[in-house]
Amino acid sequence: MPLSRLLESSSSSPTTTMAKEMAVRHHLLPQGDGPRGKTAHNLSSSSLRKRSDASLVRKVPCAALRSLLANLNEVLLGTKLFLLFPAVLLAIAATFLHSGQVWVFVLSLIGLVPLAERLSFLTEQVAFYTGPTVGGLLNATFGNVTEVIIALCALREGKIQVVKCSLLGSVLSNLLLVLGTSLFLGGIANLRADQPYDRKQADVNTGLLMLGVLCHSLPLMLRYAVTSGEHAVVSGSAALDLSRACSIVMLIAYLAYLFFQLKTHRQLFEPQEVEDDDDDLVISQDEPVLGFSSAMIWLALMTLVTALLSDIILLPIVGNAAEHAGAVIFALKNKLDITLGVSLGSATQISMFVVPLSVIVAWTMGIPMDLDFNLLETGSLFLAILVTAFTLQEGESHYLKGLLLLLCYAVISVCFFVIRRPSAGVV
Amino acid sequence: MEAAAMEAGAGRKLAARHPHGRSRTAHNMSSSSLRKKSDAALVRKVPVEPLRPLLANLQEVFLATKLAVLFPAVPLAIAAQCFRFGQVWVFALSLLGLIPLAERVSFLTEQIALYTGPTVGGLLNATCGNATELIIALFALVKGKMEVVKCSLLGSVLSNLLLVLGTSLFCGGVVNLGAHQPYDRKQSDVSTGLLLLGVLCHSMPLLLRYAVAAGEHSVLPVSAGDSTLALSRACSFVMLASYVAYLFFQLKTHRQLFEPQDVVDGDGGGGDGAGEADEEPALGFASAAFWLVAMTVVISVLSEYVVGTIEPTSESWGLSVSFISVILLPIVGNAAEHAGAIIFALKNKLDITLGVALGSATQISMFVVPLSVLVAWIMGVQMDLDFKLLETGSLFIAVLVTAFTLQDGASHYLKGVLLLLCYIVIGACFFVARQPAGHANSNGSLLDVPTSSMSVQLLD
Repeated sequence: MPLSRLLESSSSSPTTTMAKEMAVRHHLLPQGDGPRGKTAHNLSSSSLRKRSDASLVRKVPCAALRSLLANLNEVLLGTKLFLLFPAVLLAIAATFLHSGQVWVFVLSLIGLVPLAERLSFLTEQVAFYTGPTVGGLLNATFGNVTEVIIALCALREGKIQVVKCSLLGSVLSNLLLVLGTSLFLGGIANLRADQPYDRKQADVNTGLLMLGVLCHSLPLMLRYAVTSGEHAVVSGSAALDLSRACSIVMLIAYLAYLFFQLKTHRQLFEPQEVEDDDDDLVISQDEPVLGFSSAMIWLALMTLVTALLSDIILLPIVGNAAEHAGAVIFALKNKLDITLGVSLGSATQISMFVVPLSVIVAWTMGIPMDLDFNLLETGSLFLAILVTAFTLQEGESHYLKGLLLLLCYAVISVCFFVIRRPSAGVV
Repeated sequence: MEAAAMEAGAGRKLAARHPHGRSRTAHNMSSSSLRKKSDAALVRKVPVEPLRPLLANLQEVFLATKLAVLFPAVPLAIAAQCFRFGQVWVFALSLLGLIPLAERVSFLTEQIALYTGPTVGGLLNATCGNATELIIALFALVKGKMEVVKCSLLGSVLSNLLLVLGTSLFCGGVVNLGAHQPYDRKQSDVSTGLLLLGVLCHSMPLLLRYAVAAGEHSVLPVSAGDSTLALSRACSFVMLASYVAYLFFQLKTHRQLFEPQDVVDGDGGGGDGAGEADEEPALGFASAAFWLVAMTVVISVLSEYVVGTIEPTSESWGLSVSFISVILLPIVGNAAEHAGAIIFALKNKLDITLGVALGSATQISMFVVPLSVLVAWIMGVQMDLDFKLLETGSLFIAVLVTAFTLQDGASHYLKGVLLLLCYIVIGACFFVARQPAGHANSNGSLLDVPTSSMSVQLLD
C-alpha cells in the first residue's frame, strides 16, 4: 500500500477513510452501481497513469513538507506523460524571451498534452467527492476545457471563423480519427475475436449529433434560400437570431442527455469490466488519491496554465491527444464500449455543449457568431455523422470499419487542405 | 325504435363475424380513445316515440366525444363569415371547428368499416384518414395558393413525424420510466422506407432546378419550370404506385406486421366506459354514411374559410404564411390523432402510437401530395413537387432523424425529447423566414438575382 495515501490523513473526510478500506481490497473491478460511478471517459485516461513512487517522499524528514510533496508527487509525476511537463515552463520562458514564433508554438503544443491528461485526472478525483452527477457535469466541462478556453479566447479577439473551424475539427477528429484508429487497430489486434459493443450507447449519441447537424443546417439553408430568392427575412440578423434560439435548444438537449446518462438510464453507460493484470503499470482508480481541496486547487491551477498556453496556439488535435491514446489502448484490449464512450461522448460534448455555449457567450459579448458553418464544413459534418451512425449500427466491429472512418477523415482533411481561406480581415 | 334495434342487431351480427381487432387499424384505435359512452339514459326520458331513435342518433354522432365542446365553433364560424366579423375571427373559429369534425369523420369511417370488412375498411381509412389535410390542400389549389398547399402538406408530415411521435415517446417514456418499451421495428422500417422514397421524389425537382440555375445542366423544354413540372408529375405516379403497393403489403400479404398489440384492458371486456370503442357499430350503415357526407361538406366549408382568410390573419398576427401553414394548420388537423397517440404511449402500447404517427405521415407524403399534384394537373394548375430548399432540407433531416431514432426497437424518453427539439428548431426556422413579395402564387421556380438581405454571414 503506497504510503502517499496514508499521508493524506490531513484531509480526513469520511470518504477518505472509507476509501482507504476500499484500497485495502485492492480490487480493480469497478463496482456495479457504486456511489462513485466510473464512466468510460475516466477509465481511458487511467491507463496512462502510473503508480507514484512513494519511497522518494518518505525520505523527507519534515511532516508537513512530506504531505505537500506527496501531493505534488501524485499530481505532477503520476503519469507517464510527465516528461513533457518541462515543455510548459520552456514555452512560457520562450514567450517572455521572444525567441521565435516557431519555438513557442512547438513547445506550447508539447506542453498542452500532459496538461490535458492531468486535467481529466483531477476532474475524476473531484468527482469522487461530489458524486457522479456533479462530477459528470464537471467532467463534461473540464474534460474539454481546452476546447472551451480556446474558443472563448479566440471569440474575444473576434476570430469567429477560427473558432468555428477548431470546434468543427474537434468533432470530426473525435468521430472519424479517434474512433477510426481505435476500431482499426483494435480490429487488427483482435483479428479472430468477436468484437461486440453496446449499440444503445452509440444510438443515443448519434441521435444527439443529428440534432446538432440539423441546428447547423437550418441557418445555412436559410441563407441559401434567401440568396436564391425563395424566402425573405424581416431583419438582417435573422440567421443570428435563429442560431441563438437553436443554441438554447442544443443546450437543453445536452442537459437532457446528462440527466439521462447520469440519473435515469445509468445502466446504459456502465463500462465493461476492466481487468488489469499489470498492477505496476496502471493505478487503481477506485479511490481518490487527493484531498478534495487540493484537487480543486490543482484543477484551477492547471486550467490557468492551459489558458495561458492556449492563448498562444490553437489546435484541436492536441486537446484530444490524451483521450486519443486512451481510446486506442482500450480498443486494443477489445473493450470497445469504453472507446465508444470516449470518442462519441467527446464529440457529443463539443457539438452539443461547447458550440452552443460559444454562441451564447458571444451573444453576451456582443459578437455575431452563428451556427452557420458554411457549406463545406456543414456538409462534411453531416456526412461524417451519417457514416459513423451507419457504421455503429449493428453492435459488432471489425478493422474495416475503422479503416473506413479513417479514410473518410483523410478525404475531408485533403479537402480542407486544398481550399484557401479568404484573406485577412475576415470575420 | 324497431328499425333502429334491427339495424343495431344486424350490426352486432356483422361484428360477431369479425374477431376482435381485425377491422381496427391503429388509426381508428387511437381516435377511439377520445370517445366516451353516450349516456342512453338521457334519451329514454323523451316521451315521443319516433323522436327517440333520432335523438339517440344525434347524441351518438355529436356528443360521444370529449371534443364535443368545440362543436359550437362551427356555427359561430359560419355566422362570422356571413355577418362579416373580422377575418381573423373567421380563421380562428374555423380552425377550432375543424378539430372535432376531423375526429368525427374518423369515427364515422370506422363505423362504416365495421360493416364493410377489414380490407375495405383499411382502404377507407387509408384514403379518408387525413381528409382534413386533403380538403385544405385542394381548396388552396383551387385558389392558386401554392405556398399554402405545399407548406400545409409538409407541415403535416413534419408534425406527425416529429411533434406527435416526439410528445408520445416523451410522455410514454417519462410515465413508464423503469419499464422496457418495445415496439415492432419492422412496421416502422416499412414506413420510413416509403418516406425516404418520398423525400427522394421531392429532392430531384429541387436539385434539377438548382443544377439548371447553376449552369451544370440544361433542359429541353423552354424553362426549368416546365421540366420540373413534368418530372414532378412522373414522380407523383411513382409515389402513388408505391402507396398502392404499401396498402397491398399492409392489408393483404403482411397483415400480421400491422396488427395492433393486444388491447386487453384490465378494466374488462369491450363495451365498458373506459373509452375503448365496442366492436358493435353504434350507428346504422345508412346513418353513418349520411353523417360522413354531411361532415365532409361542413369540413369543406370551413376549409374554404381558412384558406381564404389566411393572408389577412398572417398580417394581423405578424406571422408568415409559411409559419401558419407549416405549424398551425397541421396541429389543428392532427389534434385528435395526437391526443390518441399520447394516450396509447402512456399505456406503453407503442405499436399503436407508431402506427398512427408513421402511418399518417406516410399517407400524406405518398398519397395526398402526389394526388394534389395530379388533381392540379387536371385543373390546369401548375403544382410541382419542388418544395424549395428550406422545406425539403428540413423534411430530409426530419425523416433521417426519425429513421435512426426508431431503428432499434425500444424506446425511452430521450428519443421523444430529441424529436420534439428537432420540431422546435424547424419551427423557429420557419418563424424567421418570410415569403418574398409576389411569390405566394408561384412555384418559386424563378431564381432571382440574389437580394442578399442577410448581412455579414455571406462568405464565399
